[in-house]
Amino acid sequence: MEQLRIRFLLNGEEVEAGVAPVENLVQALRRCFHLYGGRESCGQGICGTCTVIVNGRAVSGCLYLAVLAEGTEVVTVEGLSAGGRLHPVQEAFISCSAFQCGFCTPGMILMSTQLLEENPDPTDQQIRHYLSGNLCRCGAYPEILQAVKTAAQALASQK
Amino acid sequence: MSILGRSARRANPPEGVPLDYIEPATLGVAVELLASDEAARPLGGGTALMLLMRYGFLRPSRLVGLRRLASDLGGISVNDRHELRLGALTTLRDLELSRQVARSAPVLVEALHIVGNVRVRNAATLGGHLAHGDPHQDLPPILLAMGARAHAVGPRGSRWIPLDQLNLGYYQTALEPAELLTELALPVQPEGTQGSYTKFTAVSAEDWPALGVAVFFRRDQDRLAGVRLALSAAMDRPQRLAGVEAMLDGERPSESLFQAAAETASSAVEPMADGGGSTAYKREMIRVHVRRALEKTMRAPALRSG
Amino acid sequence: MPRQAGRSLRRLESHAKVTGTVEYVHNLELPGMLHGKIFRSTVPHARLARVDVAAARTAPGVEQVITGQDVLSIIPDPYYGPAFHDQPILALEKVRFAGEPVAIVLAADPYAAQAALDLIEVEYEELPAVYNEVEAALKGAPLVHDKLRPGSMFADLIHVRPRSGSNVHVDYRVRRGDVEEAFRASERVFEDTFHTPAVAAAPLEPIVTVAEPGGSGPLTIHSATQNPSFVRGELARLLGWPENRVRVRTAFLGGGFGGKQYIKLEALAAASTLLAQRPVKISLTMDEQFVTITRHASTIRMKTGVSADGRILARECEIWWNGGAYADIGPRVTQKAGFTSAGPYDIENVSIDSYAVYTNLPPAGALRGFGVPQVNWAHETQGDRIARELGMDPLEFRLKNLLRNGRPQASGTILQDSGTEEVTKEVASAMRWAEPLDCGTGTTRRGRGVALAIKAGVTPTTSVAIVTLAGDGSCTVYAGTVDVGQGSQTVLAQIAAEGLALRAEEVRVIHPDTDATPYDMGSVGSRSTFHMGLAIQGATEQVSRQLIEMAAPVLGADAADLELYDGSVVARGRGDAEISFRELMATRFGKNTGTLVGSGSFTASYDTPDPDTGQSDDVAVFWMIGAVGAEVTVDTETGKVMVQRLVNVADVGKAINPLLVSTQLSGGALLQFGYAMSEEMRFEEGQLVNSGLAQYKIPTMLDMPKSVEVVLVEVPHRNGPLGAKGMGETGTLAVSAAIGNAVFDALGVQVKELPLTPERVLRAIRAGAGRPLED
Repeated sequence: MEQLRIRFLLNGEEVEAGVAPVENLVQALRRCFHLYGGRESCGQGICGTCTVIVNGRAVSGCLYLAVLAEGTEVVTVEGLSAGGRLHPVQEAFISCSAFQCGFCTPGMILMSTQLLEENPDPTDQQIRHYLSGNLCRCGAYPEILQAVKTAAQALASQK
Repeated sequence: MSILGRSARRANPPEGVPLDYIEPATLGVAVELLASDEAARPLGGGTALMLLMRYGFLRPSRLVGLRRLASDLGGISVNDRHELRLGALTTLRDLELSRQVARSAPVLVEALHIVGNVRVRNAATLGGHLAHGDPHQDLPPILLAMGARAHAVGPRGSRWIPLDQLNLGYYQTALEPAELLTELALPVQPEGTQGSYTKFTAVSAEDWPALGVAVFFRRDQDRLAGVRLALSAAMDRPQRLAGVEAMLDGERPSESLFQAAAETASSAVEPMADGGGSTAYKREMIRVHVRRALEKTMRAPALRSG
Repeated sequence: MPRQAGRSLRRLESHAKVTGTVEYVHNLELPGMLHGKIFRSTVPHARLARVDVAAARTAPGVEQVITGQDVLSIIPDPYYGPAFHDQPILALEKVRFAGEPVAIVLAADPYAAQAALDLIEVEYEELPAVYNEVEAALKGAPLVHDKLRPGSMFADLIHVRPRSGSNVHVDYRVRRGDVEEAFRASERVFEDTFHTPAVAAAPLEPIVTVAEPGGSGPLTIHSATQNPSFVRGELARLLGWPENRVRVRTAFLGGGFGGKQYIKLEALAAASTLLAQRPVKISLTMDEQFVTITRHASTIRMKTGVSADGRILARECEIWWNGGAYADIGPRVTQKAGFTSAGPYDIENVSIDSYAVYTNLPPAGALRGFGVPQVNWAHETQGDRIARELGMDPLEFRLKNLLRNGRPQASGTILQDSGTEEVTKEVASAMRWAEPLDCGTGTTRRGRGVALAIKAGVTPTTSVAIVTLAGDGSCTVYAGTVDVGQGSQTVLAQIAAEGLALRAEEVRVIHPDTDATPYDMGSVGSRSTFHMGLAIQGATEQVSRQLIEMAAPVLGADAADLELYDGSVVARGRGDAEISFRELMATRFGKNTGTLVGSGSFTASYDTPDPDTGQSDDVAVFWMIGAVGAEVTVDTETGKVMVQRLVNVADVGKAINPLLVSTQLSGGALLQFGYAMSEEMRFEEGQLVNSGLAQYKIPTMLDMPKSVEVVLVEVPHRNGPLGAKGMGETGTLAVSAAIGNAVFDALGVQVKELPLTPERVLRAIRAGAGRPLED
């Protein structure tokens, strides 16, 4: 069977990888690049633990073929804190204690950064709606909601 | 220091599943590839296909990636009949964020906000959404009620398929093997059209609908005109309810009229029982939500042209 | 330096969790590792006529295919389980539920392993099957197990009495007073039957185990388990090895909720790695988790006699637990939830029969609450019916019958150090119960409800801890407690830090590794802070004593005048006389060398209940007491319930970390909120029709109640570490009933079956109005 070589920009770096057509993006990121922030859980695009940003838009890495990353720009949670500094959303997730087991956290954080890029000052209902495709079984939703609002304020004061 | 650490080429990719991937540069080649191998499948955004493969419902030998066709099959524009032309490879998210779509089809945008989740909409394409034939999709009843047509290209040439002829049954469409949807044409809605889409989810707020109701009409003096009403999700495919439309057309809107229309609607279709409810419950929900959808449409803003 | 207990410290591993770098077994890959994919039974009950794996063995990329027969070559008696040894590693003569593991394919490429599953052929001779717990308990029902296999490592289960020739494998009872006489003396007698469905824990990190054969070293199991010590013991028993030849370690768990309790994949992973002599990883899909373990479906018949003024004179509970095909920890559920099934009430006459029943469904175990959420649904729902029919306020009815400290619970054990009155008062205040609520008219109705909860802390169990101080004075805690997300590493660090007057951030708590961490019964049943906290306290006391003994001659002070403060030993009243731990270690061992070791253990006391009456003087290590208030709106045309407020009040004894305690309570409440509102595993002829999160919907942020509130009550426990008690389940127990009671308040009709789906609620509305929904 044919192995496909793909090149793409991963967290700002040009990379190349050999992937199988059957492989999804989150598996390829783990296997080829040891990036474990994206995780496969439901396998159905429902839970959001596999969230990866491709060309500026979040996708479910478990439903996204790795070959489709060819020529794109991919950002994972590891890319958010490149340089060792946490992103304001990450800071807010810590200060608001917006996680328990942490398994959903990278996906929640990536989606929250997307939301705040689109809408810097979201209402509670807008946050709930935007993040409704990310599940947290520990039930940290109230704290996550608070973290997104806290991050929005932090980002606004940076400007 | 590189955040990637070591070289990318650590382990060999998995080889357990014989599957080819190919990205043709033209629609013609894509159709040819699909026609030459009945186990080949087209790949748009992949959100549905990946699920079907994961659960073993589909075991394609080859995936024909369509994304290089995006320049022809993508985009949002207006055709020479002044219809909105939506390319089949347009992602649901692009439609959702399009000002042009918001102007001419605000109901569609309203529904797009609640299709799946943001990530699904970022990847899923309009063509895939329609070709999948899943009766629990949000857009088909709206497109059906708006009188949309889909354009398809296959080994035997191209054709327009009116949306009311696209869905034949549960996950069944009129598309032939190797036939690809290329675009959708949305007719201009008459000045003054009011519309709404109602999605009822029975289990979780973030879910496929247990029932979808799309309604469009305009008001001619104090009477309803051009009524179009489609239901989805409760049945094996989206359906226009011509009998209900006829009951409403030319009538003065009233509580009793809407009640009667809702009664007729609930007995006009045969709902399927599933996780969203029993047949009896869904019938009841049709009764409630058709009435509410009509009331909601009365309150909806009227479309202004130009 | 601030007190460490009582600090709202953020999780110590926060940075790793927000950067995605935190360690889970899910991420583990080992050189030469094989992936195991499980072939599962497609039928609910059958004899295995033929298991043909020949074609799969020669499939491309496949290293090995293992069947139940292959397992016998290394494990002659391959049946495991925490209460019964009834579950085969891979099915042997028959399969007992659809989804039961029959064979496993091992391949370096997981896709190859998956693809080869299609080549396995199994011939089944189908047998009559039984799915409903009440039907399965009847004489003449098809038998799921021809022979019972009791056997337990746990002292609280040694007296469970298996019944042969029946699917009822545990028949637990409580008898107190004379219910028959009391029913005759009652003004009113209420009898209802309640149902709860099977539901899934569905942790987002699916169940995963990696096993290494070990060669000359131990067999090593890396597992997302809540019970590493139990897994070690169980594998040693299966293999006939001493425990020291088995090593079980964990990392952080991506949730557990009971779904990763006791033994799940470990025996299969161990057998696979020993047969293949290569590391093997088995990582379930979300869908597979659904057929691996569930929360018991239940049927609960409750009969209650009351006096005219609302005193409960007698209560009779009969509970059928749908245990599925294997007992798992169901016997403990049967017992623990059994003896609290009459609720937190002072009732003289109680009769309880609690039956663990085998059926041909996936095995059921404990899921946040050990059965109490099910029985709570029954007694608290019936409580509101009784109050309404007597014309009493539901809260007043509860207060009138409340079990208070010093009074015997149904088991005969005296309630103590429990805030039953406090939580009731607090929930009333938070709900502004004294003010009327406008229930509305038209198609949107409002309602509010409360429910109280009691659960017994499991006993007797043991935790052992080791605390060390390195030559530089830094402290490490060796504890078998698993951080499933509850924040145990942080809280245990706080307890150790409190004992050694350090900052919690400076203390390191290592992940369980049975080669290093001593025995712990498990991170289950809200027991870790209490039990492990006490063990750590014992260990830090030993270290502290050694430090003070070492410092006395150095500081020229009497040991009695020395105390620890901020990493030093200081003499009371002599500000200048102090020596840091580091310097002290140097005086004893030399610079930066040596280790001080302290160890501690805690085993809770227990009085084995009388097998005929269930009476015991000591059946709970502590009591978990909670109250939930809910406010809802209901769409009367669709039956859709929206929870507007969910207030959780819990007696936590002492909040060692108020932030983590509060969020664990609200998180537990939101978990149960899903079970109350939408979650339900649906089976058709034994086949699960809604596995996976696309079909089985768990709550999203959009579903979450508008307001989720927590109120902490602190009634200190006399034996608890700093007064703390367990609380990991307290927030879960009464959620369903509080919401159900709010719906009752809004509509005047009751639903007796969970979850409160729109259809179920609409049917109740329509039946109440005399126009039932016609099918």
